[in-house]
Amino acid sequence: MKWLTTCRETTVLASRAQDGHLTLGERMAMHLHLAICANCARFARQLQAMRRLLRADVVDAVTPGLSDAARRRIENELQKKLET
Amino acid sequence: MDTLDARTWLTEHGDYLFRVARRQLHSDALAEDAVQDTLLAALSARERYAGDASPRTWLTAILRHKIVDAIRRQVREVDLPRDEDGDEAVDALFRADGHWAEPVRPWGNPEAEAELSQLRRALDDCADRLKPLMAQVFSLREAAGMETAEICKELGITPTNCWVLLHRARLFMRQCLELNGFAGTQA
Repeated sequence: MKWLTTCRETTVLASRAQDGHLTLGERMAMHLHLAICANCARFARQLQAMRRLLRADVVDAVTPGLSDAARRRIENELQKKLET
Repeated sequence: MDTLDARTWLTEHGDYLFRVARRQLHSDALAEDAVQDTLLAALSARERYAGDASPRTWLTAILRHKIVDAIRRQVREVDLPRDEDGDEAVDALFRADGHWAEPVRPWGNPEAEAELSQLRRALDDCADRLKPLMAQVFSLREAAGMETAEICKELGITPTNCWVLLHRARLFMRQCLELNGFAGTQA
């Protein structure tokens, strides 16, 4: 395990850290880098913010729903199934 | 249950199911198919619906399986990235020595109320622009909160494939948000 990781390598670790799959050595190397690199520290924080925002978001009624064409198609399929 | 109920499901929950599916699948056509498959499956299984969950909860549970099925079908059609595959889009983000090519700009306060809805819209738009499987795995993990082990198992891909997809997706998402103006001046 190398202790001095590049920014690129650190983004791989920071990404995998979001999924809880770092070894102890990887975690230490990542924190060492994050402590001295503002860019990577921001990247890591932004990954967390992105997740919070995506998970907090309930599907709102502003985004489009089913199109009329799709709705008719599905209704036909349901009808067909009911007739068999 | 009779005809009326199946139609009622479509009328009352069709839009909701579509929005959930659209957000995970990043494709109108795939999302429409998933809604249709869900309602057809619900129709076949309606005797087993005990009525202790609300219809929406029950339908959403079926939809989740249909969404995973749809993504699994995509896995067979797409070349999965591996670590050793160079990706020019990733290369462009870093210098040859592994440093960031451009500084990572701060976001200011992304949870500030005024920017929140814009930011959420931008998140959805940016995720839509990822490559299909990358977008879907990203959404299963980040929006739906599935564990990577579960994602790998359901989709039949290796953990390495999963991590490479997620790493790239996260890099591109961040870059896309920054390009869309979510870079403030605060720390």
